[in-house]
Amino acid sequence: MLHCRLGAATAVRGTSVALRWAMRTRTSLARIGLVGALAFAAPGLVAEALAQDVAVTEPVSEETLAYFKTNCTSCHTIGGGALAGPDLKDVTKRRTREQLTKYIQDPKAAIDSGDAYWVKLWNDARGVYMPTPPGITPDRIAKILALVDAESALPKSRFAGMTMSDRALTPADVERGRRLFEGADAMKLGAPACIGCHTVEGVGGFGGGRLGPDLTDAFSRLGGRKSVGAWLTSPQSPTMAPVFANAALADDEILSLVAYLQDRSLVAGGRAAGGAGIFEYLAAGVGGLAALLALFDFFWRGRHTSVRRAMVEASRR
Amino acid sequence: MDVRSQIGMVFHLDKCIGCHTCSIACKNVWTDRPGTEYMWWNNVETKPGTGYPTRWEDQKAFKGGWETDGKSLQLKSTSKARIIPNIFHSPSMPSMDDYYEPWTYRYSDLFTAPEGDDQPTAVPISMVTGEPIAIESGPNFDDDLGGSAVYARNDPNLEALSPDQREQMFAIERLVFFYLPRICNHCLNPACVAACPSGALYKRGEDGIVLVNQQRCRAWRACVAACPYKKVFYNWNTGKSEKCILCYPRLETGQAPACFHSCVGRIRYLGNVLYDADRLTEIAKLPDHELVEAQRSILLDPNDPAVIEGARRNGIHESVIDSARRSPLWKFVKVWKIALPPHIEYRTFPMLFYVPPLLPVMSTNVGGKVKSDLDALFADTEKGRAPMEYMGKLFAAGNEGKLRYALKKQMAVRIARRHLTVGDVTKEEAERALAQADCTWDEADAIYRLTALANFDDRFVIPPSQREMAIEMLEDPHEHRSTAGFGFRDAPTRGA
Repeated sequence: MLHCRLGAATAVRGTSVALRWAMRTRTSLARIGLVGALAFAAPGLVAEALAQDVAVTEPVSEETLAYFKTNCTSCHTIGGGALAGPDLKDVTKRRTREQLTKYIQDPKAAIDSGDAYWVKLWNDARGVYMPTPPGITPDRIAKILALVDAESALPKSRFAGMTMSDRALTPADVERGRRLFEGADAMKLGAPACIGCHTVEGVGGFGGGRLGPDLTDAFSRLGGRKSVGAWLTSPQSPTMAPVFANAALADDEILSLVAYLQDRSLVAGGRAAGGAGIFEYLAAGVGGLAALLALFDFFWRGRHTSVRRAMVEASRR
Repeated sequence: MDVRSQIGMVFHLDKCIGCHTCSIACKNVWTDRPGTEYMWWNNVETKPGTGYPTRWEDQKAFKGGWETDGKSLQLKSTSKARIIPNIFHSPSMPSMDDYYEPWTYRYSDLFTAPEGDDQPTAVPISMVTGEPIAIESGPNFDDDLGGSAVYARNDPNLEALSPDQREQMFAIERLVFFYLPRICNHCLNPACVAACPSGALYKRGEDGIVLVNQQRCRAWRACVAACPYKKVFYNWNTGKSEKCILCYPRLETGQAPACFHSCVGRIRYLGNVLYDADRLTEIAKLPDHELVEAQRSILLDPNDPAVIEGARRNGIHESVIDSARRSPLWKFVKVWKIALPPHIEYRTFPMLFYVPPLLPVMSTNVGGKVKSDLDALFADTEKGRAPMEYMGKLFAAGNEGKLRYALKKQMAVRIARRHLTVGDVTKEEAERALAQADCTWDEADAIYRLTALANFDDRFVIPPSQREMAIEMLEDPHEHRSTAGFGFRDAPTRGA
C-alpha cells in the first residue's frame, strides 16, 4: 500500500506500474491501495493510463460479469440488437475509450455537452437519459469495456439477448399477467405486485398506484417484448432497483407480465390509462365523509340533545 | 357480613328556606377556579321544577344509574360493548345548555360609562367566551317556581300524576313548592365509580366518600353520564372530572363540611353508619318498591355484638363504632324511619336522606277571601298541598307507604308538642295521633329535640378520621413527621 501511494505521488508512469501490480495481485489490500492511488492522481491521466494499459491485458473477473449482468443487461445487449439502450457490440470501435469513460461516468453531462453522437443516441431512446451506474469508477469502466471487447469478439455473445422464452403469448398468459399485476397472485420470489406503484388501462376503481409511471404504453415505449422482458429481469430505475434487488421476478412471471402489458398496450391503442384524478379523490373523500356522518347520525339518533332550549321553545308555541 | 363505615347525611326539608347559603359556601371554598364556573357541587332546587342540570331526573334522556332485570345489574349509560363505539363522545352527556352558560358582569362599565340620563349598567359577560351574552338560564332559574309554566311543568316527577292532578297542582291558588338542596350522595353503589374506564373514581375505604383521583382521570367523562344525580362535573380547564368531596379536609379535622356548617336553617345532619357491603349486589336487584326497605336493612345496628365483632374484624376503630352509635343518621333513617333517599330507583343507594316536607294546607280561598281558621289545626297529611304521588316518586321510588309513615310521624310530633306547649290539643288527641303514627312520647321528644334544638355536636357526629393511625399503617410516624413537607403535588392539568 505504501508502495502504491509513493508510485501515485511520484509519476504517472509509476502509477500505471503500480496499478498493474495491484490488479495482478488481486488482493483486497492492493485494491484499497489502488483507490488511494486514484484519489491522489489526476483523474484524466489515470483514465488515459487505464484505457491504454489495463484493458488489453486484464482477464474478465467474476465480479465484473456480475456487475454487468445486474446493471447493464436490462437495457443493453452485445450483438443482440437495441433494447432500451443501443447494442454494445464493438462499441470501443465506434467511440474512444476516453469518450466512453466520460460518458458512463455521467451520461447526462455528456449528452448535455452537445456531442452529436450522444445526442443521437439520446433521441433514439426517446429522450431518456441513461442512469449513472451505481458505484462506477474508471477502473470498473475499463474492466467492463474489456468485457464488452471480449464478448464482441465471440461469434455469439452470452449477452446477445434475453433467455426469455419466445413462444407465442396466449390469452392465458395475459390473464395470469393481470393477476400478477393486480396482486391477486403473489410473486414467487417475494417481489411486490406492480399495482402498488403503477397503474394501467383497465385496472378498476381508482386505478393503481401513482408513484411510478402509467404502464399502459410501456410495451410500445420500451420497444417490445425483448426490451420489456430485459427491463423486468432487473429493473434499473432508482426507485425500483433496490426493491427488486433482493426479490427478483421469476422468468415465467416476466413472460406473463410482458403478455399483459402487450395486451394493455393494444387495447388502449396508445392512450394513457387516465384513471381517477385529484378531483375524483376529493369527491370520493367528501362523499365518504357525508355518508359516514349520515351513518353516525343514524346510529346515534337516540343521543342526548339540548333539553332546556327545546322545553322553552315548546312553551312559546 | 362485610361491615364497613359510611358517612351519611340527612337534610330536613321542612326546615329548608331555600336561601342558597350552602351553595355559596361551597362555591367560595371549592369551585371558584377556572373551569369550574358552571359547577355547583351543592345546589338548591325548587320542586316541582326541572333542577340543575335541567331535567336531571329524566333518565330516559341522561341514562344515569343502574338498571336490572332481576338477575344482573347494568349501568344504563355504558357497557363493555358500548364503550368502544362511544369512546370519544358519550351520547347521553349533558351539554352546556343543560347546565347553563356561566357569566359575570363587566363592572368596569359602571365607572367608565359617559354621563347620561340613566344609571349605567354592567353588561353581562359569558365566562366561557368572554363576549357579552343574553342570559337565558342559570343554575336556579326556576327558583320559587320562576317560569313555572316552563320549568315546573316539565318536572319529570309529574309523570306520577294524572293530568287532572297536574292541572290542580298548578291552579294559581294551589301553587306549591319546596326546596331540595342537593350534594353528591356518596352512594353505596356509585354508578360514577363503576363507569370510569381509568379507575380514577374511588370510594374511600374508611368513610365511603366518593372521590376523583385528579392524577388518574383521563377525561373520558363516563362518570358524568353515569351519575343519575348529575353530581360529577367536567372541568374544561384541567381536563379532569370533579365532584363534591364532602369537604374531607374539614371532616378529617373534626369540622362539618362548608355547606353543613353554613346552613342557616340547620337542616343538615351528618354521621356515620355501619353497613353490610356483602348484601349490596343482592338488594340492588330487587324491584323498585322494595328498595327503601332493602337499603335500611343493610344498615347495621352498631349496638349489636355481631356487628361490632364484624367491624373490629374489618379494622374499624372503636371510636368510629362509637360515633356510629351516636349518629343522627341512624336515628332518622333506621330508628324513626322519617328520612328517605332521593330516587332510590336509580339503584345507587344514595347516603343522603331527606326528611320530606309536610306542606300542610294553612288557608283556603273562599269567595276571593283568604280563610285561615281551619277546623283542624294541623291538616291531614293525606291532604297536603303536594300530591302524595309526586313526593312518593321523588323519595320512595313510588312506594308511598314509606312516605305516609314519615309524614304522619312528623305530624304526630307536632301535635304532641302542641299539647305540651300550648295545650289546646288534649292529651287523648295527642296520644291517638302518636299511636296512629307508630310513635311514643319518648320518640316524639327525641325527634323534637334533634329537629328543633340540636346544636353542632348533635347535628354533626363526625367519626374520627384517625389520620395519624393511617400513617402508622404505612410508615413510622416519627419518620413521617421528619420527612413530610409541603410535598411535590402538581395541580391537575390536561394530559396523561
